[in-house]
Amino acid sequence: MFKLNRRSFVLSTAALAATSGLTGRAISADSGSIRILMAGGDADLANTNNAIARFNKKFPNFQVSVDMDPIATGWGDFVTKVIGEFAANTQHDIFGTAIETFQTFASRGLVEPIDDFVAKNPNYSDFAPALFEDCKYKGKTYFVPTSWNNIMIHYNRDHFDKAGIAYPKAGWTWDEFREIAKKLTIKDSSGTVTQWGYEVPNQNFFIQPWLFSNGTGALNDDWSASNMLDPKVAESLQFLHDMIHVDGSAPIPGSATMDNEYLAGQVSMINRGHWVIPNIRNAKLNSDVAIPPTKVNDYTVVGFGAVCIAKGAQNMDAVQAMVAELTGPEAEADVAKTGSAVPGSKAAAQLPEYLAFPPSAPLFYQTLPHTKAVPSPANFQEVEKIFIRYYTAVMADEMPVADACKQADAELNDSFARLKASLS
Amino acid sequence: MTTTAERRSDLRSSQAKAGYLFIFPSMLLYLAFVLVPVIITVILSFAYYDPQFGSHWVGFDNFKRFFTDPRSVQIFWNTLRFTAMAVTGNVTVGLLLALALNRAMPGWLLYFFRLAFFLPVIIAAAFVAIVWSYFFKDNGIFNYYLAHLGLPTVHWLSSAQTAMPSIVFMDVWKNTGFFMVIFIAALQGVPKAIMEAAIMDGTPPWRRFWRITLPWISPVVFFAVVYASIGALQVYESIWILTNGGPGDATRSMSINIVEQAFGSFQIGYGASVAVVMTVVILIITGAQLLISRRLVRY
Repeated sequence: MFKLNRRSFVLSTAALAATSGLTGRAISADSGSIRILMAGGDADLANTNNAIARFNKKFPNFQVSVDMDPIATGWGDFVTKVIGEFAANTQHDIFGTAIETFQTFASRGLVEPIDDFVAKNPNYSDFAPALFEDCKYKGKTYFVPTSWNNIMIHYNRDHFDKAGIAYPKAGWTWDEFREIAKKLTIKDSSGTVTQWGYEVPNQNFFIQPWLFSNGTGALNDDWSASNMLDPKVAESLQFLHDMIHVDGSAPIPGSATMDNEYLAGQVSMINRGHWVIPNIRNAKLNSDVAIPPTKVNDYTVVGFGAVCIAKGAQNMDAVQAMVAELTGPEAEADVAKTGSAVPGSKAAAQLPEYLAFPPSAPLFYQTLPHTKAVPSPANFQEVEKIFIRYYTAVMADEMPVADACKQADAELNDSFARLKASLS
Repeated sequence: MTTTAERRSDLRSSQAKAGYLFIFPSMLLYLAFVLVPVIITVILSFAYYDPQFGSHWVGFDNFKRFFTDPRSVQIFWNTLRFTAMAVTGNVTVGLLLALALNRAMPGWLLYFFRLAFFLPVIIAAAFVAIVWSYFFKDNGIFNYYLAHLGLPTVHWLSSAQTAMPSIVFMDVWKNTGFFMVIFIAALQGVPKAIMEAAIMDGTPPWRRFWRITLPWISPVVFFAVVYASIGALQVYESIWILTNGGPGDATRSMSINIVEQAFGSFQIGYGASVAVVMTVVILIITGAQLLISRRLVRY
């Protein structure tokens, strides 16, 4: 008969503890929870849920929850939200984000480097290499691109037809654009504008093509200092200002974008990425896209969405598997089919569903070599606010362009000096 | 044997204990959500604080930066301008509405008017601002009627001249009902005997208002002015939704600046210093109002 003496009790207890420890570890690898914070709207949520469903087929014991941020007020506020989560130690495990946040997240050590994970995943060889280049910070990869948006001119073809204007062709100039906007602007008998030729953009991302196509930018090339004193910046701002206050072909930009006005046929041309295509398609608007007009080149801006893993995320194998689903071929095909952005994968961008609308849909992918990433330094949220504050003052005719550029330059450089001091 | 004085002392002691026990929950909440955050804000105002990059003391640098930044003057002036206009509008319109409704009329009509004017008060400012942002659009309802009158389009929110008055207009529409209600309550406390005597003496209505009604309700008017001032000095959501503080800095308030600096630019120390300055400003303004009230308010 088995006797429980002191020695056997201690040994059996130790064995039990060791076994339970092993069992516990094994369970923690096969089950657990993953929290995802994604950015975007209904289409992005649907794509994410599809990815979760695929993940749960392989990892049925993991509970995956997703929260959505509509990015209603720009990426600066999203950065604030994520930093707040880390400060409160309530961060999600996976973040869906955009280039505007990359340097901020990476410089603050909020995200895990994933070079090994990327190297092991064969699906990513189909992605444009330029996208992965912008996913690096100080030589390490922290983000996997999912989709991207380059800003194009969306135009209402019915308005062009009615005005007897030929559709825009590649290489059209700023001057041609300005004349077309004037012709497309319609006023009623009381002088009230019933159809604007163009919406002078109100958001940092949408404004960039007017700087890039003039061979300049608000920041220098490595995003480390202001470039607001470049006369070409003033020239670009003056051009937009004059469309409002000289030509009367665009309204003063307000705090809201004019997407609904475009869908309602009250604006003929707007600067947007691919994300407006589903709404335009649903509204059955006879709309197409054109490359933004040229001043010294035909460059436009590109911003892209990506997925990253929070620093110190638990269940890393499962989290990486979830990221693989969020960025895999099925997820890319979902992006292409919904039209919420241009898929990162070239194969997905050749799907018939993606190319069905608008008529010039291939332009989005074709123009990728002629794009520059939206300037996204580690102090992006501050840079964006400074630039937009002076930009809106100029567009509202409250401040001369030269004064705005000078004051914005001083504030931007102060911000970069503070950033430098923080990083050192 | 216990004396009467000892029994009274015991009673007082147990009453005091019960009193402290009753106020303990609210004191705990006050400490956790008011006093401790205020103390932390004051401490942070002397620091550079960043949860990731690290923190250090900076002395009075944050305050120096605030007082030497040309934007501070504009933002401070915006806040004072909004406060002056909003307080005047809310209190004056509220008082006029109360006077208009403080008269004999059918009960259902009285309740209808009171409800109609008070209803905007219970709607969240964010919702109100979103709806009014459509009214203020270039193709909104205001410009629609202006166009029918042959008047030019007004850029209500995108012009520095009209943006602030437009926000004040919305604020008065939203909040004046609250002041109307407290003024109605105050007006009903004016003794009828005095008013009837004045009427019998042939005192005209305007004189009755200045000589009897206004002095009688002056403590309530004073409360309304202080209450409206403190609220207006902290204005945030209506401006943020309608104009984002723009165009440029034309409508940016101190509250918006605090949030932008602390949570938009992660300069939490600097944001805290602006909050401290704002608190001092509110204290000074309230103190000045208290001093003035000693001359004007009749208790």
